[in-house]
Amino acid sequence: MAQNYSASHSEEVSSTRKVIAASSVGTLIEWYDFYIFGSLAKIISEQFFPKDNPTAALLATLATFAAGFVVRPFGALFFGRLGDLIGRKYTFLVTLVIMGGSTFVIGLVPGYAQIGFVAPAIVFLLRLLQGLALGGEYGGAATYVAEHSPDNQRGYWTSFIQTTATFGLFISLGVILIVRQTLGLEVFNDWGWRVPFLLSIFLVGVSVFIRMKMSESPMFSKLKKEGKTSTNPLAESFKQKDNLKMVLLALLGATAGQGVVWYTGQFYALSFLQNACNIEFVQSNIIISIALVIGTPFFVVFGALSDKIGRKWIMMLGMLIAVLSYGPIYNAMYDTANLKNKVEIKEKTVVEHKATVNGADSLKTTITKKVFEDGTTYKETKKEMFPVDAAAKAALPKDKLKPDTKKEVVLPQDQFIRMIGFVFIQVLFVTMVYGPIAAFLVELFPTRIRYTSMSLPYHIGNGVFGGLVPLIATRLVEASKEPGYSNPLSNLINGVTGHASAVAGQADPLAGLMYPILIAGVCFIIGTVYIKNKPTVIDGE
Amino acid sequence: MSAIQKILGIVWAALGVGIIPLAIMRAMAEIAKKPSEENWIFWSIVIVVLMPIISFSLITFGVFALKGEYDSVD
Repeated sequence: MAQNYSASHSEEVSSTRKVIAASSVGTLIEWYDFYIFGSLAKIISEQFFPKDNPTAALLATLATFAAGFVVRPFGALFFGRLGDLIGRKYTFLVTLVIMGGSTFVIGLVPGYAQIGFVAPAIVFLLRLLQGLALGGEYGGAATYVAEHSPDNQRGYWTSFIQTTATFGLFISLGVILIVRQTLGLEVFNDWGWRVPFLLSIFLVGVSVFIRMKMSESPMFSKLKKEGKTSTNPLAESFKQKDNLKMVLLALLGATAGQGVVWYTGQFYALSFLQNACNIEFVQSNIIISIALVIGTPFFVVFGALSDKIGRKWIMMLGMLIAVLSYGPIYNAMYDTANLKNKVEIKEKTVVEHKATVNGADSLKTTITKKVFEDGTTYKETKKEMFPVDAAAKAALPKDKLKPDTKKEVVLPQDQFIRMIGFVFIQVLFVTMVYGPIAAFLVELFPTRIRYTSMSLPYHIGNGVFGGLVPLIATRLVEASKEPGYSNPLSNLINGVTGHASAVAGQADPLAGLMYPILIAGVCFIIGTVYIKNKPTVIDGE
Repeated sequence: MSAIQKILGIVWAALGVGIIPLAIMRAMAEIAKKPSEENWIFWSIVIVVLMPIISFSLITFGVFALKGEYDSVD
């Protein structure tokens, strides 16, 4: 008897592991596909948008990037409905193929220099397809795994799906770094950036092959057999008050805050390192990658812990600590890289000038290299266009005459490790809010409409609230340059640390944090007051 | 807890309503001040995407909370 039980138990565990592995690999690849676009935002802006105005190009790229997030809820509705009507397995197989196909094609689109505005238009459409596919994928994978998991271990098993987003980001950064290092910077900027996109087709092929072998979720199969599946999942999910109120609670009390914490801790942290701290491309990506690797196991830790103490307080605590500590953490990151806090070794400063004449234009390049006492190195590359002809110079727009300055700071080892620590703390918040959330969401809704009902709040929270973090934060930083600007967060930090306030005309590096702090703060209050912490049992009805 | 939930329901609904004119007025002022491509893209996303989601969800959630729909919470 005991032997029979042991054999059937180990069979069950092995089958659950297969389900998790097959679901996770596909979801991981979808996240990889989705994030290489974000990780290559700067190069994409140069390739697919006009070069006259780099800020407009970057914002247009971020808007295209954000469009991928904004359509995710539509993907959630479309594929969620399919998943509740025909089944989980075939739906998230279709999303995988759409995602892989559109990612591959992005790698083939000619640049703005070749086909003009058609290039960004095609990229925009492909980005929309990526967003739609992702909108259908995650809910399917989380629901599929949850419906295979025992009630007392749902947080643990679904947390493996939760690791895929961070792991997908990590792999996207890793692939980009490897390709960049292998091909060299010039080749990478020319065509090498396309390789990570093209690579996707092989990864998706492998994943489709694995998923084809999987069987349908047992709970959904049972419902289907009994003829109890929903005939109109959209109406049941959003027109019935009892379900709609839970959708709103999931969005405002959990996923919106989780979304902004996720994107601040991983994406905005990278953007902040590169744009506010001017940390060199490779070093900034390594900082994020190491922090992600160290942090990722905590998704499973907090997922498993949520099986013991409930989902609510882990997620709420993560949001609260994030709200309270973002200001000091980002201030410390900025201070660590701030050259004003370092002593320059003047005799080691090297300035090189280069002038090249290209037709009627003359390009002057000035490279300044500085070394600081703590081991920090700084390189500034300033490119200025000088039309040889005075009449041509007068006709050129002011933006084109503005020097293009690239600043690169490389930190010494101790500060590099400290920076990893600052990002790791943020990844830890991410694991607290994100680790238990798949289990939390699937437990809120019944099996017949689970895929639809959980996908929408997840993708509005993550895709819209979270996905807009880079765009809104960049805009807030830009707005901080205007006269009369005042940021209560910066004022508070400056008051406590004794730093000087932001100077008029210069960007306030902390201004971008106001958005995630506000959203996570409201979400924390709503979640704390309205969400219950009782363990929930899901059933096949 | 039930009373707090209901009182806060009024706050969420009021916030949801208040955000609409605030966002529209801010967008108009910002675009009038600097009618650049960046400003148009940014404020279009805020007004067309973000604001309707925030307003609708806060108002509906607030009304549900005010009616005691979330009373069964711990």
